[in-house]
Amino acid sequence: MLDELRQRLRAMEKVTGIEAGPGPVPLGLAGVDAALGGGLARGALHEISAVNEAHLSAATGFTLGLAASARNLLWIAEDMALTESGAPYGPGLDCFKRAPERLVTVAVANKRDLLWAMEEALRCRAIGAVIGEVRHGAIDPIAVRRLSLAAAESGALALLLRAQPSSDASTAMTRWIAGAAPSLSSPSPAGGGSPSEARWGGVTYEKRSPPPASLRSALAGDLPPPGGGENGAAPRFAAQLVRNRRGPLGSWILEWRDTDERFILAATHAQPVAAPLLNRPRQKVA
Amino acid sequence: MLSLWLPRFSTDRVRRLREFSAPLVVYGRRGNADVLTAVDEAAEKLGLHAGLALAQARAMHPAIEAVMEEAEADAALLDNIADWCLRYTPLVACDAPDGLLLDIGGCAHLYGGEQRLVADLGQRMARAGFAYRVAIAGTIGAAFAAARFGNPAAYAAGEERDIVSPLPLAALRLEATTVASLARVGLKRIGDIIDLPRSPLTARFGQSLLRQLDRALGHEHEPLNPRLPVAPYVAEQRFHEPIAREEDVLGTVEKLAARLGVALERRGDGARRIELTLFRTDGAVRRIAVGCSRPLRDAPDIRALFSERLAALADAFDPGFGFDMARLSVVIAEASPPEQIGIGNAEDAGELARLVDRLSARLGAQRVRRPVALDSHIPELAAATLPAQMVGPDFSGQDLGWDAFRRHRAETDLAPRPLRLLTRPEPIEALAEVPDGPPLRFRWRRALHDVISAEGPERIEGAWWSEQGGAARDYFRVEDRTGLRFWLYRAGLYRDLVRGELPNAAPPSWYLHGTFA
Repeated sequence: MLDELRQRLRAMEKVTGIEAGPGPVPLGLAGVDAALGGGLARGALHEISAVNEAHLSAATGFTLGLAASARNLLWIAEDMALTESGAPYGPGLDCFKRAPERLVTVAVANKRDLLWAMEEALRCRAIGAVIGEVRHGAIDPIAVRRLSLAAAESGALALLLRAQPSSDASTAMTRWIAGAAPSLSSPSPAGGGSPSEARWGGVTYEKRSPPPASLRSALAGDLPPPGGGENGAAPRFAAQLVRNRRGPLGSWILEWRDTDERFILAATHAQPVAAPLLNRPRQKVA
Repeated sequence: MLSLWLPRFSTDRVRRLREFSAPLVVYGRRGNADVLTAVDEAAEKLGLHAGLALAQARAMHPAIEAVMEEAEADAALLDNIADWCLRYTPLVACDAPDGLLLDIGGCAHLYGGEQRLVADLGQRMARAGFAYRVAIAGTIGAAFAAARFGNPAAYAAGEERDIVSPLPLAALRLEATTVASLARVGLKRIGDIIDLPRSPLTARFGQSLLRQLDRALGHEHEPLNPRLPVAPYVAEQRFHEPIAREEDVLGTVEKLAARLGVALERRGDGARRIELTLFRTDGAVRRIAVGCSRPLRDAPDIRALFSERLAALADAFDPGFGFDMARLSVVIAEASPPEQIGIGNAEDAGELARLVDRLSARLGAQRVRRPVALDSHIPELAAATLPAQMVGPDFSGQDLGWDAFRRHRAETDLAPRPLRLLTRPEPIEALAEVPDGPPLRFRWRRALHDVISAEGPERIEGAWWSEQGGAARDYFRVEDRTGLRFWLYRAGLYRDLVRGELPNAAPPSWYLHGTFA
């Protein structure tokens, strides 16, 4: 009964032209894919906001992770964003398993140009995903709708990366708030670490130790290595799905595995899933 | 060859700017005296001439208006006139300071013959307020001589001897000293030296005399040095009624592009850079260029590029009272294999090239870029971005140096690099263990970060071979309490400071260079 209603709703939505497009891209995580209705919908607009500006790089990483299925990527950013938050760095992209030679970057002077360039790029069949980076301020809802339509037409992934969460109305299929999560796992049972720990050399770090303790341990020369690459533990993201046209919301801590180019659920995090830095009630999770 | 001489160029230029009722002279400082450099017609009637001292001229005629010369403004105006003359032929050369040379070979018929062309040119020059003299002859030298010293008219090729014979020797564009010494031995007209034995002339007056004579007579070729490079493919259209609307301009572009496309295809070429020249009725010339990342021939594609370009220009594209002529020229052509014709097919690379071209046309070619790996160990020099049109938008075939980078990374087990690199490293206040410990706490952009984990140091030497190489850097990857991951470095080593090896070494300081995902 419920399923039938959902089907009918979806069929109605299709008429507006926003839904549809080719099949979704599974992220390979059962929980997340179920919430998304099979995976990240292709041919649709997805909005990813950083928790705050400091977390923009993490949100960038999360966005790149979502776009992992797209071979060719176009990244459009305002000049201001590139000077303030740094430009995409080729060797870093390569470390993230995102081939820099398959990237085209576009610097634009203002938001109007950015939305125009995004729409233009979405209409191009050679581009798998378009990332548009907006620093702040509202975006014209009409332009956003145009982006959704353009994405639906071509089947490309439209990703709007924002430096701050915004609450303006939008036709985005999903809306995420992403930030960095502490990449270190809690002291694991002796010998039985997660695969990542085994690989990265078993990081042990007492999460709740007060600063003096960490200072002391650091002075003793034993600060553990941070996450975010091949030598440390994999980078972790706190991702919150705060809007989903197709299903329930959720909140996960994801770990990027650059070896198989996908996210995994971070199994051994030290804290409950709802990271305290995301000041949002958890009851939204269905 | 057409020689256009503007005998009153400087005064005409001044008169275009301001209304003068009195006779006008232009003067400039020569040595320690102000000397007239140009006089207008009225002033000439008063007996003034270039070379006269300004004080003397004023004493003779207190009512004259005197204006200081402006060589740069003259040159700029001459350049503008040269641009405007592109409507007659693409081969236009400036004949400084006050003339132009136009190679109208093969172009005159477009205007209905040389006479009509000269009439059109003269009418437009007169309307713009310039006195002018135009002569057409078989050689540059003869046209020059006829325009300035003889009877300005259209002469057929082969008449050079008759044109120049009665003219003074100065018409050969000789140095004043040569002319003077020739005059001393009684040689005043060109006809006087045409039939003289050559070797004594060369021995006495140098090679340039006979060379100029030979060039004027057509015995020796004289190359024209055009002001702008000549486009290999050109198509143009003249309008009886000026056009001003953007759609009309674009329609014209498409029509001209279709014509160019035929020519390009015949030679197996494609356009890499196309220039649209629009001639406004009031004499202004608009030049709009677009680049393409692959050789292009499709008229609709070319139209689309110009449409973006015009949209970007917006108000700067000022049609005024309309354009009465448009020319589309392929400035850079490149061989394009036949299979690339019709870039509009569904092939990926073609699609991408089209997108890159459209974005570049609208936003500027410098704004659409692709990352390229460079051979450097210094992080900010290890990667750069180049305009996508320059490197070409081929995703599958090009590695842009990244294969080499990946090999290098695998071989040296390079530490991870940040996802985003700041344009320039930002100084931070850091608390770190001396001499080479990781930072424990640092302040960046007014926010305090407690480091809970760190990895490093990775020492990256500065460019020691260069003066501005900078100090060695110790890079650390650190993570703060919230999970933010940064790339920090300490510039300089405490070791250098302590040992006193580098007397001028500044104390080490900390910088933040990038952020990890």
